[in-house]
Amino acid sequence: MYLAEVKAWDIVKKQYRYKLKSYFGVFTSLIVIQLLAILFSFNGTGSGSGSSNSLQYDFYYYTSDIILIFMMIWAFITAIIITTRAYRYDDFSLVTNRTISQVSNILFLLTASIFAGITVYLSTHLFQILAFYFKDNYSIIVDSLTVTEFVMGMITSILYIFLFACAGYLVGILIQLHKGFLLIIPTVLFGGLILDGIGGDPRFFVNITMFFGEETSFILFFCKIALVSSMLLLASLGISNRMEVRK
Amino acid sequence: MNVVVCHDLTKQYGRSKAIQNMNCQIAENKITGLIGRNGAGKTTLLKIIAGYLHHSSGDIQVFSENPFNNLKISANTIFIDNEMSFSQGLTLNELLETAGSFYPNWNHDLALKLFDYFSFNPNQYHGNLSKGMKSTFNMIVGLAARCPLTIMDEPTSGMDSATRKDFYRALLKEYIAYPRTIILSSHLLDEVEDLLEEVLLIKSGEKCLHLSIDQLKEYAIGVRGKTVNVETWTEKMELISMQEIGANMSYAVIRNDRSIKELEDARQLGLEVTSVSAEDICSYLTSKTKGGIDDVFSRG
Repeated sequence: MYLAEVKAWDIVKKQYRYKLKSYFGVFTSLIVIQLLAILFSFNGTGSGSGSSNSLQYDFYYYTSDIILIFMMIWAFITAIIITTRAYRYDDFSLVTNRTISQVSNILFLLTASIFAGITVYLSTHLFQILAFYFKDNYSIIVDSLTVTEFVMGMITSILYIFLFACAGYLVGILIQLHKGFLLIIPTVLFGGLILDGIGGDPRFFVNITMFFGEETSFILFFCKIALVSSMLLLASLGISNRMEVRK
Repeated sequence: MNVVVCHDLTKQYGRSKAIQNMNCQIAENKITGLIGRNGAGKTTLLKIIAGYLHHSSGDIQVFSENPFNNLKISANTIFIDNEMSFSQGLTLNELLETAGSFYPNWNHDLALKLFDYFSFNPNQYHGNLSKGMKSTFNMIVGLAARCPLTIMDEPTSGMDSATRKDFYRALLKEYIAYPRTIILSSHLLDEVEDLLEEVLLIKSGEKCLHLSIDQLKEYAIGVRGKTVNVETWTEKMELISMQEIGANMSYAVIRNDRSIKELEDARQLGLEVTSVSAEDICSYLTSKTKGGIDDVFSRG
């Protein structure tokens, strides 16, 4: 019997297609979480009130912030889940090697992030419409976006979600490398935050948020996320190359 | 040509060695049985060959390449065991189609026929199958993939006897139609000995024997008779096993290399010389003590 030669990229594509089909449950959970997020956003993500002589008013902001944050957490958890043993071993029942398995995972996470980013935008509209119908609003002011702004907004959401997916992926791989990380990572993270806050002037978390959040140039923001994500992914690739393929 | 070549192969888990200084070659287009006791290192060896585990020292070549994490080996090898995991999100039918898209030699017609024969429900999920059904499904994937190197680790575990017989027949028919290298591990040599051409017997991580099945069947003889007589006759011979089988009666197993005269002597001492089945030879060779389980219960 002759030996078949296979091309790595072909197998990546096949694994990717296989993952899109078999991880379909991930998208179901996305919808459920978005519905939940819409429910949480229903009272407005910010509000205020004021009055002058004869006028008293309340105002509410309806933004997609909560939905986006929920999606970021979802991406983080999804990434951890697909690094678990059951998911990794599925790949190895078929043709693959570790790099291909990882690359197809990353492509899957990217696809999931894009899908999530788009639906964040769409669900924002859904809940604005719901708010319009179900709440006693007297006036609604909607930000009208130009096409560029709209596209940039959507890409930004996607990038944020993907960043969290990459972080989750690294965390997942670390836990697969050694179960001890299950304890170490939360300890370091929360311990660090507490230590940082003890002085009354927390810097660490604020700096990280500012590194991304305060960036006004879209290109630079894109580069920052791309850089950090690829660092996280390279670390995952490097670490997973230390593990056995399948026990 | 040899498909698998191991040279001084060792695999260590922490301090314990699962495989020690293994030297073996597995020839192309033969059905080789990997036989050994529980914990002898069968699965570890197979997983190293399949490229799942990294060996600790020594050298292993599969199709002249290092199998670990190797795409070419992955495409040309299939490893079937009962821990084989398939996605929970796809039905059995979809799984077959997916497997078909991955393996270059996949025969979908055969897969569907076997699938039908064993009356699987195409809309079921792999996780919901019973143990025997899982093994049967994995076997279908293994046969239909037509990989040049097909590795099956305890493929029949959980199958009922009718399914086992069907499986062995299917394996043989497939092998004759499309010869390929098959490595089959099993504790039950009795069941598979008609199928095998070669037997690789391993004991605590080391190679014990590598013979063709015919050579193995003639490897040893058994001698039964009065303990005193058995002991005198076998005094200068190397025993493979010695058991008491009743009051003053013993049964000894020795290598089948005695001269006609010696066998004549045995007959005159009233000893009965018998052949030993391949399965028994393997269990005597791999047993830790000469007397077997009886040693545990013997008083005095």
